[in-house]
Amino acid sequence: MKPLRIALTKGRLEKDTVELFEKIGYNCEQVHNKGRKLILPVGNGEIEVVLAKAADVITYVENGVCDLGVVGKDTILENGTSFYELLDLGFGKCKFALACKKGYDFYSGYKEKTIATKYPNVTRAFFEEKGMDVRVIKIEGSVELAPLVGLADGIVDIVETGSTLKANNLEVIEWVTDISARLIANIASLKLRKQEIEQLQKKMQEEISKN
Amino acid sequence: MRKNIKITPEGAKDYLFKECAACKQICASVEKIFKMHEFKQVMTPGIEFYDLFTMESCGLDQETMFKSVDNKGRLLVYRPDSTLPIARLVATRLKNKILPARLYYNQSIFVNNKSLSGRSNEIMQMGIELLGATGKRADLEVLTTAVQSLESTTDDFRIELGHSDFFNSLSNQLDISDDEKEKLRLSIESKNYSALNNQLDKLEETPAVNAIRKLPALFGGEEVFDKAADLFKDTKAINALEYLKDIYHELSKLNLKHKLTIDLGLVQRNDYYNGIVFSGYVEGFGDAVISGGRYDSLLDKFNAPMGAAGFAINVNALAKIYLNDKKVDYDETPDVLVFANNGNEMEAIKFTADLREQGKKAQFCVLETIEEAKDYAEKRGIKNIEII
Repeated sequence: MKPLRIALTKGRLEKDTVELFEKIGYNCEQVHNKGRKLILPVGNGEIEVVLAKAADVITYVENGVCDLGVVGKDTILENGTSFYELLDLGFGKCKFALACKKGYDFYSGYKEKTIATKYPNVTRAFFEEKGMDVRVIKIEGSVELAPLVGLADGIVDIVETGSTLKANNLEVIEWVTDISARLIANIASLKLRKQEIEQLQKKMQEEISKN
Repeated sequence: MRKNIKITPEGAKDYLFKECAACKQICASVEKIFKMHEFKQVMTPGIEFYDLFTMESCGLDQETMFKSVDNKGRLLVYRPDSTLPIARLVATRLKNKILPARLYYNQSIFVNNKSLSGRSNEIMQMGIELLGATGKRADLEVLTTAVQSLESTTDDFRIELGHSDFFNSLSNQLDISDDEKEKLRLSIESKNYSALNNQLDKLEETPAVNAIRKLPALFGGEEVFDKAADLFKDTKAINALEYLKDIYHELSKLNLKHKLTIDLGLVQRNDYYNGIVFSGYVEGFGDAVISGGRYDSLLDKFNAPMGAAGFAINVNALAKIYLNDKKVDYDETPDVLVFANNGNEMEAIKFTADLREQGKKAQFCVLETIEEAKDYAEKRGIKNIEII
């Protein structure tokens, strides 16, 4: 039997997922001692872990080369199209927020507002729902800089503790949505390997609900 | 400006030799089944009016259509789907003919996919439409054709059955807007339990809400029917469940065993389908390779109300798997190369034809000298050269 292949988002989500796997009894030694390897067996070979960047996790799962994936809701909202979202894993929690310079009255005036963000789709969807026409500028690095140097009126970004915002004299004016890690599945895989996937999902769910 | 003369647009590709042979093989297998079931081929135009595909409840996204304009400035699209053109064709050109109409097609559709997604924008599709009939017999005929078509091309597949009435009847009992209904549908379609629960938590806990909550998890084998039976209090939903059970048992007689599954959360294009819906999956391709269902209300839009059901198969996907899994019967090397000395060309061509009649793969050499011919034969691995 082919191992169930699961793509993990490198970094913190990978760590949290491996921890979860270990709690439900899978041996993850090879992931801990991975070196530069990108495909790693877990347990007794029934699972195979693939390490990838967040958006790539979705690409691999969507194209069916990975059966499952662990990825943040932020990435799903920004890039997601066709796959199943099976489980809220409860870790990797943070929020999308709209922020601007402290004291700036964002919603006043008739001038078209400019928003800087790494997440143009999330931003567009958020303002579309409000019926508000904004100009979106995509920024790759520290988005906080944009309102400070006068490129944008506000930013839409992930906020965890809010300390970066505070340090740069920015404040949250509205929460956009909550974010956490999700277990996603390829559409065909869920049909063809239903039992294996459901078993794993159930084990993960039971472990999560203990907390 | 740089001219794009050596590349193809994103999502388009050339098919060479073996790839063509694989596509052809799949087409031949499926076509045999379609013909066996007495479906007759039609071809519809590659370009049509945009209006046809943007009628209400057609489930096609305008952003995914390739568009153009005609010389009167009217919007045209490159065929994004074959069912709507066939519905048009039946409602107009076959208006006074004997029904039911049993039609099949084998033609490409064009989808403007998200850039850099690795998806094909031109997909070879084959499918059937059975128009002018409703009810169990028509559904069984369509489903059997679908199952046999898949069976003829691959051993490992799943056919999944659903019914559009579960979601429709349940969501109609909720006091929510159409937009919210569509959100619920999307959550169920993507089996996004957390989003679904968030939406439902805002509503009063009624039996309908409870049933919708469980809908995405209601997939699998026969056990699904028992799990579902307690959930539905609405007559329409109960009837749909009974009907689906009946269809499932009838189809099981084809000895499909685990290949036939149920998914009550199958809600794709739900405002378009109004009865049985189904999808087919194959190991090695990450998306459905076959999808279809009953769409009785479509023909109303052409003022020709009649029952209709059908499905489409993704030929490219099946061909890709066929290429990976099996040795495609494709031997490109000729047995004999026939070289003509100056003046003997027509004799050589005739001799080549004779060889073919004897069952040999013979090629008339178009090179000018015997040295070139020998060199070519060696490179291609052609064992025999005949010199005339």
